[in-house]
Amino acid sequence: MSTSQTPGTKVPLGADLLIPVLALALAVYFFVSIADLSWEAKANGMLIGSALVVLSAVQLVRVGVKVWAGAASLGLDRLLLPREVLAKRIGMVALTALFIASMNWLGLTLAVFLATMAALALMGVRRRSQLFWTPFGVSAAAYVMFVAILDSQFPHGPVEMLLARLF
Amino acid sequence: MTWDFLLREFASQFGLWYAIVPGILIGIVVGALPGFSAQNTLIILLPLTLAVPVHTALAFMIALYCATHLAGGIPAILVKIPGTGGAAATTIDGYPMTQKGQAQHALVLCFTASVFGGLISTVVTLGLLPWLSKVGLYLRSVEMVVVMLFGLTLIAVIAAKDLLKGLIAGLFGLLIGVIGTDHIYNTPRATFGFLELYDGVPLVPALIGLFAISEALVMIESKMIVRKEGRARAADAHWADTVEGLRMAASKWWHIVWTSFVGLFIGIIPGAGASIAAFVAYQQSRMWSKHPELYGTGIPEGVIAPESANNGVTSGTLVPMMALGVPGGSTAAVMMIVLQYQGIVLGPRLFTTNPEIAYGVFISMAVAYVFMLFTILPLARYMSRIVLIETNYLVPVIMLMTTVAAFAGRQYQFDMALALVFGVIGYIAHKTDYHVTAILIGVILGPLFEEYLVRSLRISEGQLSILFSSTIANTLWALLVVSLALPLVRVWLKRRAET
Repeated sequence: MSTSQTPGTKVPLGADLLIPVLALALAVYFFVSIADLSWEAKANGMLIGSALVVLSAVQLVRVGVKVWAGAASLGLDRLLLPREVLAKRIGMVALTALFIASMNWLGLTLAVFLATMAALALMGVRRRSQLFWTPFGVSAAAYVMFVAILDSQFPHGPVEMLLARLF
Repeated sequence: MTWDFLLREFASQFGLWYAIVPGILIGIVVGALPGFSAQNTLIILLPLTLAVPVHTALAFMIALYCATHLAGGIPAILVKIPGTGGAAATTIDGYPMTQKGQAQHALVLCFTASVFGGLISTVVTLGLLPWLSKVGLYLRSVEMVVVMLFGLTLIAVIAAKDLLKGLIAGLFGLLIGVIGTDHIYNTPRATFGFLELYDGVPLVPALIGLFAISEALVMIESKMIVRKEGRARAADAHWADTVEGLRMAASKWWHIVWTSFVGLFIGIIPGAGASIAAFVAYQQSRMWSKHPELYGTGIPEGVIAPESANNGVTSGTLVPMMALGVPGGSTAAVMMIVLQYQGIVLGPRLFTTNPEIAYGVFISMAVAYVFMLFTILPLARYMSRIVLIETNYLVPVIMLMTTVAAFAGRQYQFDMALALVFGVIGYIAHKTDYHVTAILIGVILGPLFEEYLVRSLRISEGQLSILFSSTIANTLWALLVVSLALPLVRVWLKRRAET
C-alpha cells in the first residue's frame, strides 16, 4: 500500500485497526463474561485475552504514532478501494444474508435459484439465458447433493415438496 | 508397521480408485484456477466428505490436495499466473520457457517433478513416521501447551507479512476458539447469548467464512481471472514434445530428489507451506548451480526445483497433524476437521489406536501420486483453458454454495450466518495483512489449548511455573523466543546497515 503512495500523501491505516479493535472488544467481553467463574474456567481466557490486549494496544499505539506524525491517516481505503466494486461487494454480503433469512420460506432449491440469479445480475451478467441456466444448474446441483443424496435437514419449500411428491 | 501391513494398505488404497481419480481431476481443475485452493474446494465438498466412510473421504481429500499442488504450475507456466501460492516461483523460469516456445516441455517438467517430488517425500515420511509418533508420546500436557503456542507463533512469523499482525491474528483466533462452555463446569463464556455457541465455535463455518467467502469478496475486484493478453496465450496452448520433456526431467533426477527434501522439511514446520518451500528450493537450486546466471531465462532446473519442493510439502504438512494433532497448514486443518467429525482423535496415540488411518494417509498420498502420473499428462493440453472462466460467475457460486455447505455440519441455519460473519472478518484480515490462516489455526487450537493448559494448571494447583518445569518444554520455549526474536533482529540489522 505504502509503495503506491505519492510523496506527501498519507498512508491510510484506519483499516489496520479493525482487527485489533475487534480483538479488544472480544477480549473485554470475554473478561466480563468470566468475571464470576471459577479459576479453571477463567485461566485460559485471561491468559490469551491479556496477551491479545497487550498486542492490540501496541498495534493501536503504532498506528497512532504514525497518524500523530502526519505520515498516516485513519482512512479505510484498503477495505473500500476500488470504489467501483464496493456496491457489488456490499451487495453480495447483503444478498447472502437475505438468502440465509429467506431459506425458511423458500426452501433450499428455490432460495439458491433466486439468490444465484440475483447475484449474477448484481455481478453484471445480463444475458437472459445465462441468468436462467446458471442458477438452474447451481440449484439443481444443490438439490441433488444436499437433499437427494445427503438428505440434509435444509428447510423444504415448494420445489422440494413438489419433487418429493413426484419421486 | 510391517511389510505385510504396508502392502495390505497399498492394495486397499488402490481399491479406492473411484475416490482418488475424481479427487485428482477436481484437484487439477482447482489448482489451475487462480483464487481457488484445495482448502476452499474441500470446504465446498465438505458435506460429501463427511457423509462417506473415513477411508474414502481421506483418499479423496489427499488426491485432491496433491493434485492442486501439481496443477498450480499449469497457469504459472502458460500465462504467468500461479494457480496457487506454491506455484509462484514456477513462473520465474516456466513462463520464459513458454515464451521460448517450450511450453509443453515446461509442463511435462512441472508434472514429472511434482509427481516424483511428492512420491519421494511421501515414501521418506512413511519411513520416518514410527520415529515421529514416538517423539509425540514424550509430549505431555505441559509440552503440548508450548507446542501449540510454538506452532501458532511460527505461522505468525512465517506466513504473515508483519509479526505483530500475525500474532494478533493467531491470538484472536485462539480466543474465538475458547468461546463456549468450559471443560470442567460447563459454564458458558462469551456466547453472545446464542445457545448454538455453547458447544464452542463450529469449525466448518469458521473455515468457510475465513477462506471461501472472504476470497470471493476479494475476487470481485477482478472482472476476469486472466488479463486479455493472458487469455490469448491460454487459448493458444497446445500439445507437443511430451517425450522430450520427460527425457529432460529424467536427466535432472537428482535435482528432483534433493529439492523434494527441501519441501518435506519445510512442510513439517506448521504454517510454512508450499510458497516458502518453492522459493527456498528455487533459491537453493540457483545457489548450488554451476550456471546461476541462467536462472530466470527459462531453464528446466528453474521449473523442477519449485515444483518438486511444493509437492514435497504435501506429506510434510500432514506430519504435525497426524503425530501431534497440530495442523501444518490450512488444507491440513480442513482434513483435521473431517477426521475429528468422524471421531478420529489425532495425535501420538493415533499410531496405536488407528494405524490404518495414521499410515493410510501417507500410503493414500503415494497411491494418488502414482495415479496422477497417468491422468495428468494426457490432460495437460486442455487445462490451461480453465483460467478463462469469468469471476462474474465464480463469485456468486462460491458465495452461495459455500454458505449452503456451512449448514451441512450441524444442520443449523445459524452456522450459515456465522460463516458470513467470518467471511467479513476474513475479508478485513485479507485486506489488512492479518493472516487468515493464523486466525483459523487459532480457532482450531483454542479448545485443545485450553484442555492442555487447564490440565497442567490443575496438576500444579494453578501455578503457571509448571509450564517451565520440563527440559522439553523449556527447549520449546527457547525456540519460541528465538523464532520471535529473529525477524526483529533481522529488521534491526537491516536498518543499521541502511544508516
